[in-house]
Amino acid sequence: MTISNTTGMGGVEMTNVTKRFVTPTGAAMTAIRDVNLTVEPGQFCAIVGPTGCGKSTTLTLAAGLERPSAGTVEVSGKPVDGITKGASFVFQSDALLPWKPVEANVALGPMFRGMPRREALTQARNWLKVVGLSGFENHYPHQLSGGMRKRVSLAAALINEPTMLLMDEPFSALDVQTRAIMSNELLTLWEKSRPSVMFVTHDLEEAIALADKVVVITAGPGTVKAVFDVDLPRPRGAVQEIRFTPRFLELYQQIWESLKEEVESAYQRQVTTNLNRGAAA
Amino acid sequence: MTTATAEALNSAAGDEQVIATAARERLRRRKLLVLSSQIGVAVLVLGAWQLGTLTGAVDPFFFGSPLGIVQRLGDWFVNGTAYGSFWEQIWITLEESLLGFAFGVGSGVLLGVLLGEVPFLADVFSPYIKIVNALPRIVLGSIFVMWLGLGLPSKVLLAAVLVFFVVFFNAFQGVRSVDRNLVANARILGASRLQVVQHVVFPSAMTWIIASLHVALGFSIIGAIVGEFLGAQNGLGLVIATAQNTFDANGVFGAMLVIGLLALGAEALMSILERRLLAWRPKSTSENNTAGI
Repeated sequence: MTISNTTGMGGVEMTNVTKRFVTPTGAAMTAIRDVNLTVEPGQFCAIVGPTGCGKSTTLTLAAGLERPSAGTVEVSGKPVDGITKGASFVFQSDALLPWKPVEANVALGPMFRGMPRREALTQARNWLKVVGLSGFENHYPHQLSGGMRKRVSLAAALINEPTMLLMDEPFSALDVQTRAIMSNELLTLWEKSRPSVMFVTHDLEEAIALADKVVVITAGPGTVKAVFDVDLPRPRGAVQEIRFTPRFLELYQQIWESLKEEVESAYQRQVTTNLNRGAAA
Repeated sequence: MTTATAEALNSAAGDEQVIATAARERLRRRKLLVLSSQIGVAVLVLGAWQLGTLTGAVDPFFFGSPLGIVQRLGDWFVNGTAYGSFWEQIWITLEESLLGFAFGVGSGVLLGVLLGEVPFLADVFSPYIKIVNALPRIVLGSIFVMWLGLGLPSKVLLAAVLVFFVVFFNAFQGVRSVDRNLVANARILGASRLQVVQHVVFPSAMTWIIASLHVALGFSIIGAIVGEFLGAQNGLGLVIATAQNTFDANGVFGAMLVIGLLALGAEALMSILERRLLAWRPKSTSENNTAGI
């Protein structure tokens, strides 16, 4: 690929990033510590790790929704201050406005940026065609299935032509078959405009099938444990089928080896806290 | 073989039709039964009341009688009251309620959204709002009559104050309970703070606000009537107060009936408005369940 420098559009550079939150009870909680993470422009980076390790926090930092407590976050070569320009976010729950029809939901991005309503709606309808939802422009989100709502979310995120796409377990609420279909769809769309992607997931298979690079985060407070390059050829084709290739299995074994310890230690910790809580109560 | 399948299909379709027809018939009969029972209850109560007054078991001086109420209302509608036609009294009370409702809802929504959006203001003002809310606000009516006189403004203000608090708390709560993901998403998509309020926060709080409007409407009518009780030159509240002073039980009941009908009419309009504004919501089963009550 021609892209190699991290200062290009959409590249992410996190250096020694630590994020602490103050809980409502007044205690400080460290979500992530000393995270060093690089996503090159146009690169698809998956972030895996156990529950509660701060995966989502890295995304909110990259999006500019939160500031790091220490360290620096740079996107497209500029330190993040305020909402990051050129970023789009896809949430686990589809962040669609239930009181607006699908086309108005997709048109939000351009409208917020000052495009006239009529023009924005035309663009939205084009994007709905791209994600295969022609004919559903005037439906309300609750009238669509989970997979269709996800398509709308994708269209709403991509219509802004992002240079960086942040996805927080976007498909985890879908059933297995729909998830596979949506993964393929995502890859096809991504190949067209090639934004850099930070894709948080629980699912290691999903991560390997989609990404160029898989980052393993340790049990909370999270930090980068290991980075694996996924050298499966692109275009990948159907994610359901790539899972059976020998190279995929090899990578899976390698990464799982690294991830397993963290999952186990996170689970162990969960059990202990629950036990303590039970004892206290 | 094929004919057997076709027959089976036919008979299955026939079965379904029979079941559907039977269900429809059952539903129709039940509706009829409910309606006739409702009429029966009204006839029974009113009949017993009328019979009681005729036989002397119920003292018509204190309790009036259904026929007496009808006569009294007829007299009012035909000959008017001591302070002008009866229609005028109804209109004045209605006008006070609606104006009070409009001002109360407007200010309640505005302040609710503002305080909900700006936590600093909310923290500063919350003790004062709680204090004022703890007051029995009806007594404010006396002050308003002193300030603004016996005319329309004092009643409008009282109605508006009663409405304000109901709407304010709902708007505030509605703004506070907006889905944070929706706000975050709008911000990332490039929305300014005002756009977030306009496109995300306000519509989301709207469900809460609309839920409060039914109660608020009732309060606006209460405010207008109580205001008229406390001092007025016109209105249904004054009609009731006058009837009370002349020991005219039929008059009190008659005016009450008119107010009740007004409130029901307003309530029906409000339901239509609500359906319009919340058309985007999925049809919930709870609405169907409460429809009968």
